[in-house]
Amino acid sequence: MANQGSDRRAVLQMIAKAAAASQFPGFSRWMFGQQHEHAESGTVPPRAANYQPSYFSASEYRTIDILTGLIIPHDESPGAQEAGASEFIDFLAAHGEEQIQQPMRDGLKWLDAAARKSYGAGFAALAPEQQSEILKRVAYRDGAAQGDGEGRAFFRLIRRYTVMGYYTSRAGLSELDYPGLQLYSQSPACPHTGDPEHRHLPPPRV
Amino acid sequence: MPNQIYDVIVIGTGAGGGMAIHTLCQAGAKVCALNASRRLNPGKDFRNHRKPYDMPFRGFGEPAKRKQWIGYMDNEYTEGIWEHEIVFTTAPGTEWTWRRCFAVGGKTNFWGRSSARFSDIDFRAASRDGYDVDWPITYDEIAPYYSRVERMIGVASTVQNRPSNPDGEYLPPMNFRCIDRILESGSHKVGIPYLPDRIAQLTVPHAGHPACHYCANCTEGCDVGAFFSTPWFFLPAAEKSGNLDLRTNALCKNILVDENGHAKGVAYIDRNTKQEVEVYGKAVVLAASCVESARIVLNSKSRHWPDGIANSSGQAGRNLCDHLYGTTARGYFPQLLGQPSFPDNVSSSTVAWMPRWQNLDNPRKEKFIRGYSVYPDGGCGEFPGYFDEIDGFGRDYKRQIKRRYPTPVSFYIQAPTQRSDANYVDIDPAVKDAYGIPAARLHFAWDKNTLLMWEHGKHSCEQLLRASGAEYLGSAAEPDTPGTSLHETGTLRMGNDPKRFVTNRFGQAHDVPNLYVCDASVFPNCTDKTTTISILAFTLRTVEYLVENLKKS
Repeated sequence: MANQGSDRRAVLQMIAKAAAASQFPGFSRWMFGQQHEHAESGTVPPRAANYQPSYFSASEYRTIDILTGLIIPHDESPGAQEAGASEFIDFLAAHGEEQIQQPMRDGLKWLDAAARKSYGAGFAALAPEQQSEILKRVAYRDGAAQGDGEGRAFFRLIRRYTVMGYYTSRAGLSELDYPGLQLYSQSPACPHTGDPEHRHLPPPRV
Repeated sequence: MPNQIYDVIVIGTGAGGGMAIHTLCQAGAKVCALNASRRLNPGKDFRNHRKPYDMPFRGFGEPAKRKQWIGYMDNEYTEGIWEHEIVFTTAPGTEWTWRRCFAVGGKTNFWGRSSARFSDIDFRAASRDGYDVDWPITYDEIAPYYSRVERMIGVASTVQNRPSNPDGEYLPPMNFRCIDRILESGSHKVGIPYLPDRIAQLTVPHAGHPACHYCANCTEGCDVGAFFSTPWFFLPAAEKSGNLDLRTNALCKNILVDENGHAKGVAYIDRNTKQEVEVYGKAVVLAASCVESARIVLNSKSRHWPDGIANSSGQAGRNLCDHLYGTTARGYFPQLLGQPSFPDNVSSSTVAWMPRWQNLDNPRKEKFIRGYSVYPDGGCGEFPGYFDEIDGFGRDYKRQIKRRYPTPVSFYIQAPTQRSDANYVDIDPAVKDAYGIPAARLHFAWDKNTLLMWEHGKHSCEQLLRASGAEYLGSAAEPDTPGTSLHETGTLRMGNDPKRFVTNRFGQAHDVPNLYVCDASVFPNCTDKTTTISILAFTLRTVEYLVENLKKS
């Protein structure tokens, strides 16, 4: 056990990854991430246009994908759409994640009904500003439009799974600048000597 | 070699079994070690720096499998390592969450590494406050064994001169992170000690093992052996000595006795063939972990031992204690909002702790007796678990998540339960495991004293958070389920009176002199400290005593 060489470890790791990737052929972006292990952080492969959802219908999937992009948009850094959050959601649903099977479908129906009521068309067909307006009604705990329990529950659900998909992707971990799974020569020490209470730090970066 | 008689049969290869094997093989004894599951391959079974996006389910796990996971360590990265086949049961009203690693090395592959010595305030607690019994051992007797263990495994800490926490022989401590500096400042205001933990994680190369590289996720296995586990530290040399016959997938069924009622061997089930096999030895070391060892004792019935081997006292399985674990407070530091990410959570380790500060001078000062310790945690984790605390969506939501990233802080309490007639292990008369061995049944509930510590801990940690300038966000509604800590003690506890205790002050069974117990089941109660380093120290002492006895016989 103790003489397990690092070369052998690397090989085993590659085999394990290749096996995992081969079992999940739908994952264009994830496979890309696995093959390009040493790509510059922040590099995100271009969006695959031809993903075929395996649990949701094409139109359900289209709406889910739009929602992930509204929740975590592309701004200075890639957003949830580039990171494949919708594929992650579809993949989990296809593998038995009950919370996002029927509840997600019901929520999407609620969303389309709300869109039709306000703007006379399904959610996916609306302008981004109109889509945001609908989400705003259900996205804030103390918002003006209290009482829409179903919409609020659906928003929390889709946001939860968008966050799960995005912040476990290469793009999401890069957005946070996740400092783990790297090598450090000594245990990282607080750099703010002379300011133990951290009351006088440089201005926030974000 | 069907009729070979080994010098010693060791049941288990975790902290106690591994130390026993190591010590015995070095002393030249012929050892047969039984391990209930397979060998692990660090290159394949451990996390090995895999990132969430390297995993099909991003570390969250396949939904159907996730439902069967036991606690947070049983996850997509460690799939297939935790025991799910060997069942146990719980009495009505008992909840018990129990992650068992039966692979070679046991839980040392994934342990939390906190390694404080027990002290006389623990051993003589009954004399101080009048509850239960003292330990049949003094700190002076065990201290040299702690020192030797610390030299073997490497423990990082500082000299702290705390009344409840004897200092040991330490490697340089881990450095304090931002959250530690902030909490340390706050701790001075509220009078709670905030100090480097004693942690068995190599801050410098030690005894042929490399220093930690702080990649994080240690509890999913270390691929370079930079913290103590028996497969990295003890078993290779033992196998090299030629004195060890390590049998895997060997699930212990019962201890065999001779015509005098002494141990003569062990019957086990080979999990591959499902055949029962017997091995014979001059002595048996029982180190299957607290509850499993009690199960083996209680299942070892014979003409001599109708209630289980070495159980004339009737105490085997009784006196079960555990650590109450739970999040006493959580919040975030506004001071750190929007600051650059910092690798302050990457060792996934207890860099700091708040060692017991209650009832030190006056054992009855608080509403509860004894005391508890607390571990802080926080900083830039692998997942922004606070995402649901922020409202909204879009660009601002994304920005808020990033701003909060360096700021989270929380506390985790480690509070000992006290001995109670209501908490024990017995054999379920109706349930057998997949190999026909009667299952252990747990009877357990938190006692009032421990719940008073929980309340006290919540209050103390809230005070500390506020004194440190943090936003306080509450505590867990309830403590974690019993069993979560994996620090069960007491089921074969040691004491001088054979009528009241299963084992003597050396961990030797009173009734069966060639049966020795080398796990936390011998500890008379649960202290505020973790168990592993004490299992190692007590085992070293027990096994050297065993070797002397072997030489005499």
